Amino acid sequence: MRSRWWLMAVSLAASGSQAQTNGWNMPVGVTDVSSDIYGLHMTIFWICVVIGLVVFGAMFYSLFRYRHSKGAKAAHFHEHTSVEVLWTAIPILILVGMAVPATATLKNMYDSSDAELDVMITGQQWRWRYEYLGEDVAFTSNMSTPRTQISGEETRGEHYLLEVDEPLVLPINRKVRFLMTSDDVIHSWWVPDLAVKQDTIPGFINENWVKINEPGIYRGQCAELCGIDHGFMPVVVRAVEEEEFDSWLAERKEAAEQEAMGVDREWAMDELVERGESVYQSICSSCHQAEGQGSPPAFPALANNEQLINDVDWHLDKVVNGVSGAAMPAFRSTLNPVEIAAVVTYTRNAWGNDTGDVVQPSAVAELIAQ
Amino acid sequence: MAPKLPPQPPLQHNTTAVADGQSHGHAAPPKGILRWLLTTNHKEIGSLYLIFSLTMFFIGGIFALVVRAELFQPGLQLVEPEFFNQMTTMHGLIMVFAAVMPAFTGLANWMIPLQIGAPDMALPRLNNFSFWLLPVSFTLLLSTLLMPGGGPNFGWTFYAPLSTNFAPPSTTFFILALHIAGISSILGAINIIATILNMRAPGMRLMDMPLFVWTWLITAFLLIAVMPVLAGVITMMLMDINFGTSFFDAAGGGDPVLFQHLFWFFGHPEVYIMILPAFGIVSAIIPTFARKPLFGYASMVYATAAIALLSFLVWAHHMFIVGLPLVAELFFMYSTMLIAVPTGVKVFNWVTTLFRGSISFESPMLFALAFVVLFTIGGFSGLMLAIAPADFQYHDTYFVVAHFHYVLVPGAIFAIMAGVYYWLPKWTGHYPNEKLAQWHFWFSIIGVNLTFFPMHFAGLAGMPRRIPDYALQFADFNLLSSIGAFFFGASQLLFVLGVILCVRGGKKAPAKAWEGAEDLEWTVPSPAPLHTFETPPVFHRTSH
Amino acid sequence: MWSVVKSVLAALLGVQSNQKREEDFSSGRPAAYLVTGMVITLLFVLMLIFLAMFAAR
Repeated sequence: MRSRWWLMAVSLAASGSQAQTNGWNMPVGVTDVSSDIYGLHMTIFWICVVIGLVVFGAMFYSLFRYRHSKGAKAAHFHEHTSVEVLWTAIPILILVGMAVPATATLKNMYDSSDAELDVMITGQQWRWRYEYLGEDVAFTSNMSTPRTQISGEETRGEHYLLEVDEPLVLPINRKVRFLMTSDDVIHSWWVPDLAVKQDTIPGFINENWVKINEPGIYRGQCAELCGIDHGFMPVVVRAVEEEEFDSWLAERKEAAEQEAMGVDREWAMDELVERGESVYQSICSSCHQAEGQGSPPAFPALANNEQLINDVDWHLDKVVNGVSGAAMPAFRSTLNPVEIAAVVTYTRNAWGNDTGDVVQPSAVAELIAQ
Repeated sequence: MAPKLPPQPPLQHNTTAVADGQSHGHAAPPKGILRWLLTTNHKEIGSLYLIFSLTMFFIGGIFALVVRAELFQPGLQLVEPEFFNQMTTMHGLIMVFAAVMPAFTGLANWMIPLQIGAPDMALPRLNNFSFWLLPVSFTLLLSTLLMPGGGPNFGWTFYAPLSTNFAPPSTTFFILALHIAGISSILGAINIIATILNMRAPGMRLMDMPLFVWTWLITAFLLIAVMPVLAGVITMMLMDINFGTSFFDAAGGGDPVLFQHLFWFFGHPEVYIMILPAFGIVSAIIPTFARKPLFGYASMVYATAAIALLSFLVWAHHMFIVGLPLVAELFFMYSTMLIAVPTGVKVFNWVTTLFRGSISFESPMLFALAFVVLFTIGGFSGLMLAIAPADFQYHDTYFVVAHFHYVLVPGAIFAIMAGVYYWLPKWTGHYPNEKLAQWHFWFSIIGVNLTFFPMHFAGLAGMPRRIPDYALQFADFNLLSSIGAFFFGASQLLFVLGVILCVRGGKKAPAKAWEGAEDLEWTVPSPAPLHTFETPPVFHRTSH
Repeated sequence: MWSVVKSVLAALLGVQSNQKREEDFSSGRPAAYLVTGMVITLLFVLMLIFLAMFAAR
């Protein structure tokens, strides 16, 4: 064991500041908090190494020096109060020394005041929804790694399982407050480089914050077991310069307004099907599968589903209000009327479901308003 | 606990124990299966517990190997995520409740009466009942894997609402199984406390008891304190699932975090339940093979009590990232860090016991020494996890998986194996094959480190636990872990072989099988006859 | 009384000379040790809570 500790100590010392990228230690990260945490981590680690060297050193020395086979005669001493006081007192002092900086870091982590931007993060089985509060910009972020890579039919890409269709975009150098909750089970939003890991709990709102120092793309994952696709729920944050963020946000805002206006107009079937297909692939296909075949019994097939084909109101109701007691969530507040109308139209006209039905966004908006 | 006892003469217990279904002269026990179903003998029940535990160890181990096989390389090759989750869950449940805990109870059954000079456990029929509840409970639990919708898939910590509103229908059976196992544990604990407090040999005071007895006494109190909490929390789940309550459902005014508080108020003492008896075993073995009394007997007892006490004050360190208030985070960080002190006292005591001893390296000693080193490594990562800010990075990663496997596998399980090799001569009358045991040891220690050491790195690099597939940068660590796991699993067959060979024959062991062994169990013949200490021995104070 | 407190504190830290322990076990009443132990444990918890509250300010 001793040699293992040495090996680790030496190689750690050798790697030094490259720890951020070497892939086997905690990342230093790109925020002040994350480098504080890294500092605490390395301090406590080296304390453990030193204690380990002393204790295991004494142990292996004794094992070697006092071997029965070499004729060692056992002494018969036991109990020595001052030694015992010493080995109680020294650990206490070390712990106090460790607790002081840890307390300071923790207090800093808990201070989410004076944030310049609020982002609501909602965990859903199995995607993240981001909402820029007060900006009318919201979207969901799904894993974009194709299932064919998971099954091995296709070569796995560089960011296998850690890539999404729409990353969370954040500005650097601004304090961003996260408000975190969940629509179903407990998830945990984690990006190692930002040192933010916080449970998202249904019915409760947790707070955390981040102030990123460097632009870049930072990847993480859901850290709390949340069901079948827990392993396929990545987080990607794209941190950009302030100006770039401002223009990105303005652009998204405009697009959102346009979409909101689109509710009132009459949509053509082609438009809806095209839009619906992209919604389906990002939201629905993780359970109901790419070709609508589902995976019964938990996730019913949509293709050739008699009940679905025969009853458009029932179909719409399930998408808007969910199925209680089953995995199907209500999408009334997470998708907008255009998206719901599009995806319902798409599923009613794909994979041999040739109903020819067109559901208009205005009808969906009416249903939600009821 | 009157210190100045002349303990009650255990004679009266002796008669009650023997009177159970048998006449005074030990009539021939029933033959065949009935003998084992009806036995009230602590040695036979102890053996039943140990055999049950070993069986479950292999079943839980196979589940772990399914997990490791899937994680051998990136991508989904062997199992679906749904089944993967069932395997991680079942592995945890079986190992905790059906392998480690019954193994310690089995050792307690065998050794506590022998170590305190009692003829049997205080409540022999209850003892039989507590054992036979276990096969019922775990047959039920395992059968959920065959039910429609599959078995439990929400992790051994079964956090609500994943385990309530979103759980498979079999969850109700899971709850029932856990209730039965919990009753078994509570009854076993009551029996052990009754035995230790009432049936010690005349002249043996509490502070004269071997440490295995002491640690089990404290463990038994922990069990009685927290098993009802587990029963409470699973009953609340049952109500949420079947009777429309909303204890853990925010939509009905409940609180999912309440579940975690209740679970970990049980769960943290539970992890000490799985390690304190291990401390006792190691504290028996190290002095024996160092041929030198334990350095600080009293401080070992006090440290065990302190650890047990602190275990009720630290539960929320499992919940540093659920959004506790700052004050709570600080309180639980401080109290958790304090556990390092009594734990350190124990390690220092073992090391000082070795200092200037006369040390030999038989298989029990090898396992005990490996315990000290590897458990301490697990303690170090535990100390790191106690630092709340850093825990925001460690939490729910493979770093945590590495940590608790270091304290449970080369911790609890190595201690159990050390105990088995140590006491096998007493049980069977034969020494285990030393060469085989040494092979088992070296294979195990290589396997265990190869499996669990890389997990530290995978976790620090960012791999969450309980995922069936992972990003490419974790591939090397997982490859090593999987190879190590299969190596470790296969080498446990040597253990089974060693035990079977030892039961069937081998070098004859005298009453005092190990030169440096001091406790009362070494005064009865090897193998220990079915009935021992029918007249209480006179206890002579040694050098504690 | 003071000797009881001292013994309990020593037990909490896990340090106590054998001689002192023999004294305690042959002279003291167990109830006194139990009550003192519980009171000191309670004080210890309160102390930790106050420490945490103080640190959190």
